[in-house]
Amino acid sequence: MEWAPGRIRNALAATVMGAAMLGATAVRAEGQLTMLVWEGYADKSFVEPFEKETGCKVDAVYVGSNDEIVSKVMSGGGTADLISPSNDTTMRLITAGAVSPVDTSKVPNMAEYLPQFQSPAWLKKDDAIYGVPFGWGIVRVIANPDVVDASTDTLGFLWDKKYAGKFAVWDDIETVYMAARYLGFKNTYSLSDEQLEQVKAKLIEMKPNIRKYWFTTGEMGNLMASGEVAGGNSWESTLVELRAAGKKVVDLKPKEGRGGWSDSWMIVKGAEDNPCVYPWLNYVASAKTQALAHAVNGFGYPNPKMVEHLEGTAKANYAELGMSDPSTLQNVDWWQPVERRAKYLEIWNQVKAASN
Amino acid sequence: MSSIALSAGENAKTIRSARRLDRRRMLFWVVPPVAWFTVFMLIPYAMLLYTSLGRVEDMRFIPGLSLRNFIQVFTVDPYLSVIIKSARIGLMTAVLSAIVAYPLSFFLAFHVRSSRLKFLIYLLVIVPWWASYLVKAYAWKTILGSGGILNALLQKAGLTDEPVRIFLYNEFSVVVTLTYIFTPFAVLSIYAQLERIPTSLIEAARNLGAGGWMIFWRIIAPISVPGVVAGGIITFSLAFGDFVAPVLVGGPDSVMISNIVINLLGVAFDWPMAAAIGLVIITLGLLLISASGWLEEKTQIRF
Repeated sequence: MEWAPGRIRNALAATVMGAAMLGATAVRAEGQLTMLVWEGYADKSFVEPFEKETGCKVDAVYVGSNDEIVSKVMSGGGTADLISPSNDTTMRLITAGAVSPVDTSKVPNMAEYLPQFQSPAWLKKDDAIYGVPFGWGIVRVIANPDVVDASTDTLGFLWDKKYAGKFAVWDDIETVYMAARYLGFKNTYSLSDEQLEQVKAKLIEMKPNIRKYWFTTGEMGNLMASGEVAGGNSWESTLVELRAAGKKVVDLKPKEGRGGWSDSWMIVKGAEDNPCVYPWLNYVASAKTQALAHAVNGFGYPNPKMVEHLEGTAKANYAELGMSDPSTLQNVDWWQPVERRAKYLEIWNQVKAASN
Repeated sequence: MSSIALSAGENAKTIRSARRLDRRRMLFWVVPPVAWFTVFMLIPYAMLLYTSLGRVEDMRFIPGLSLRNFIQVFTVDPYLSVIIKSARIGLMTAVLSAIVAYPLSFFLAFHVRSSRLKFLIYLLVIVPWWASYLVKAYAWKTILGSGGILNALLQKAGLTDEPVRIFLYNEFSVVVTLTYIFTPFAVLSIYAQLERIPTSLIEAARNLGAGGWMIFWRIIAPISVPGVVAGGIITFSLAFGDFVAPVLVGGPDSVMISNIVINLLGVAFDWPMAAAIGLVIITLGLLLISASGWLEEKTQIRF
């Protein structure tokens, strides 16, 4: 499956999945869970066992963007019990008081999580935790070792003039963040106008090296595989794809850091009393469920024990990506809400519109 | 007297009731198009205008009556420059489509005698439309790419040793793809116009001693102008508003206005700004269509 990652994940996915509503339309009120989630986060491979085990019916509505989650939850009216927003949105919901804190004692499986996901900054407010982390990933910086030195430890190579037309980067504001990191700005997600101007100039300076701004991870995979480009940024799936196709590719670890995204299950205010909420949260925090979810979308998952449930190539790939290794997570610039996202996007559009 | 007055009154009554019946029947025919126009045209345009005058604050739409967004379309980089670039790409597509379509339409209209062959060629022009736009745009990637068909041919012919990289991921490939995809529209519209030319006109010219070129320049070309204009409007509009070709085969600077609008809707959640750009484009489109309508009227030759 080809993922158009990030905020535009399946922009048209407003599919309502009446999960296994066999016959009985009159649902027991006490056994119903409504969720607003990404496609794949309520896959029947793990929803069905949960329903059988607990008697709770899961009713999942797929969303296409974090904004959709925010606008639905903010407009109120008990549209959902659980949501799965990303780390650039979680704090917005917490600050707005739209979600309830999670009683982690009722989610014992969370104790198995990697330390970075035990109480991440994007879920923490006044010592309370507001979500259970689920799928995550790092925006990788990748390169063909025949062209780019495999020991490169800085993003600077992306600007090296000898690589004219050799790279492709993500058509997303993550690329704006990346340039900000290279410039050494620590406030990636709250840049000032002056900093944004510098970022813009830096990105325009990179343009002669850019062959294409890619739109889907699959596209980046094709660009790399066909030799059209020799590097850029992408998601883990591109690395997995290229390695599976026998192509040479290295996963660089720039000292400036890499962007990281992480989705979390959050309880919509008022739903904490729903008896199905905590059983679900603990269920999705288990290694077994996360292994099933990984099979659906290939994302990273915070419970390292899930590796034991993976098989063959999936297990090898996961290990090669270092996703169960806490050291991989050391230099990650986790996404945060960007208050002036429109401004960031404007900068990005200006970069794209600038002539080479 | 009173009986006359009565009959006159009765007469008037029957006429009135007949009129009413007529009106009722007319209503039957008029209501559906008016309803369609209202639901799918007027209301959406009104909503667009309403949205464009507001603003977004913290992911929520705040209604307003501000022209700020419209001012931004013209003052904030890159909106206007991208609209101009999209217009340039649209114009190039329209011109290239007309250049490709004209000889084909001409051949089809005047040189193909067998109606079966005519139908076959006509069908071949339309058949690509049975395949998805996306597939066709994708096909150009495999033709123009570094390891693509064109480069393979060039290398086989010994014209180059290295793959030529200037074919793909730039404005050239966007225009080529759009031209390929939208040329059928130009063919159909030019052909329809050429078909209208009565053979008697050409025979008369020939009898009067006009040669092939003279017939073309003095008769066929002037008559075909409205078809070329109509085809040009269609291909221009389709290419101007396109967003798939720049994403698939465009380069780092091939962003078009529809891509920006999608970005504003999806990533920035700035619906008012997107609506303002939409309205500016619609206004430009109306101006263009009025101008072309006038041009078509001016150049239309009636027989």
